[in-house]
Amino acid sequence: MVYELQNLSVNYDDHAALRNISCTIQEGKWISVIGQTGAGKSTFVKVLKGLIPSFDGNYMIDDQPVIRDTKGRLKVIPEIGFVFQYPEHQLFETSVYKELAFGAKLQGYSNQQITEAIDSILPQVGLSEEILSYAPFQLSGGQKRRVAVASVMMMNPKLLILDEPTAGLDPLSRAALLQYLQQWQKQDKSRTIIFISHQLDDVAEYSDEVMVFHKGQLKGHFNACKLFLEKNELLEELELSLPEPVQLLKLVEQLCGRKVEVDSCKEREIFDKIMPIWHARGF
Amino acid sequence: MLTFDHVHFYYKKGQPVVEDISFTITAGEYVAIVGANGGGKSTIAKLMDGLLLPKEGSVKFNGLDTGIPADLAKIHKQLGFVFQNPEDQFITTTVMDEVLFGLENISVPREEISIRLHQALQAVQMEDYLEAMPHQLSGGQKQRVAIAAILAMHPQFIIFDESTSMLDPQSRKQVLSIMRELNQQGMTIVHITHHMDEVLLADRVMLLHQGRLIFDGEPYTFFETVPVGDYQLELPFAVRLYHQLHLTTPLTANWKEMITSQWSTNYKI
Repeated sequence: MVYELQNLSVNYDDHAALRNISCTIQEGKWISVIGQTGAGKSTFVKVLKGLIPSFDGNYMIDDQPVIRDTKGRLKVIPEIGFVFQYPEHQLFETSVYKELAFGAKLQGYSNQQITEAIDSILPQVGLSEEILSYAPFQLSGGQKRRVAVASVMMMNPKLLILDEPTAGLDPLSRAALLQYLQQWQKQDKSRTIIFISHQLDDVAEYSDEVMVFHKGQLKGHFNACKLFLEKNELLEELELSLPEPVQLLKLVEQLCGRKVEVDSCKEREIFDKIMPIWHARGF
Repeated sequence: MLTFDHVHFYYKKGQPVVEDISFTITAGEYVAIVGANGGGKSTIAKLMDGLLLPKEGSVKFNGLDTGIPADLAKIHKQLGFVFQNPEDQFITTTVMDEVLFGLENISVPREEISIRLHQALQAVQMEDYLEAMPHQLSGGQKQRVAIAAILAMHPQFIIFDESTSMLDPQSRKQVLSIMRELNQQGMTIVHITHHMDEVLLADRVMLLHQGRLIFDGEPYTFFETVPVGDYQLELPFAVRLYHQLHLTTPLTANWKEMITSQWSTNYKI
């Protein structure tokens, strides 16, 4: 599915949260959304999900205007999955099974469909069947977060929006969650992830594209590597520092006085490209 | 000086959250506390501050016992706590009131209140926001106000419980530099964090795992000797790079300096 916003503006009481945003979200991508606190990132993803009932501008899905009610208000779009910040705060059922089944039941899944969906989702987020009978509060922080994400994946969304999904997780739980999300996204060419994050190292590691917000405006929608390698002035202007591997690349380029070509901004790729230069220097 | 003496804590008997932990933090130290989610970090912080009391053992701050109510009131005048989410601690309607609230609670003389208010807001660069209301502030600004409210009480010791985890990178940098500065002025800092690069800024790191103190020592030794992956942690970028390039200069948090210095000394002629 292709999601398109045209000249979108959202006004809260005394200020504009989003100003004249136009963008197209193609399927099959990991798109990260970055910008300072208050830049409009959360408002933007809420519009996509249909959580902001009125705004100026157009919102089209596959070239069709989104459905509005008789008062012209936008409805929540069920096909889009949305994982809020600290989603585990919203876990409320007495067992993990019931938690995962809750949304699916509302969508009219039969018991058998629910069991099949749970069997398929659990391994995708690295959880074993035995935890199905556990109460959510018996799980670790990382497990709880993954249950919350899995409960959204249960609905098989084509577009999955995650607002700071790794905040508060220990480093390996963070890495595990990101890898599960990446595997989930790559499993099906029509799946798209929209990922809000302040961790630019994670953004560089996982994204295909990056959307940069500042003071309610979309400052650009870039190929991830292009943004970090070529748009440094923009990032500086927004006081966003480059991911550490990219900073390393720039430093080595400066030291050896020439450009070092890379295919991506992932840490592994950058380490691999600078190692020969380092060896040539006398190691 | 803060001393944990064989401290045990549990919510339910038989399910220990903190098990037999002993350590001493002396005045002026900068200590990072790390560990997996659920390892006991926040519990330790709450035990330090007397928000929780040990089931066995004792927690003493400058000879005062958190278990004795009269002592605890005195401890609270010297020890401050900054939480993870700035939203959780903003209780008044303006920045000024937020700082004044704590001062009034500890009965600071009227003539001194205004001096402390301005000093504290200046230290976190929020002096231009006296009348601002919470919804007009960003997360990072709110967190700085929370720090100012603590600073105004002139504590000797501040606990930051994941206080940088919800901030954007720029705000995070600002809060870290405030912490560093306070420490240089002699304040004791305890910083609970999941950011391994922040650990390198501390003088000492404690690793908590399943309620036990697994490591207590210098950060560089920690990353060199402890298999951090076993504890849900990772090496900071500086250390990963150090290993990758087999650097021989001393390991420091400032990896740019490390690289530059090695580059200039190892030129093959």
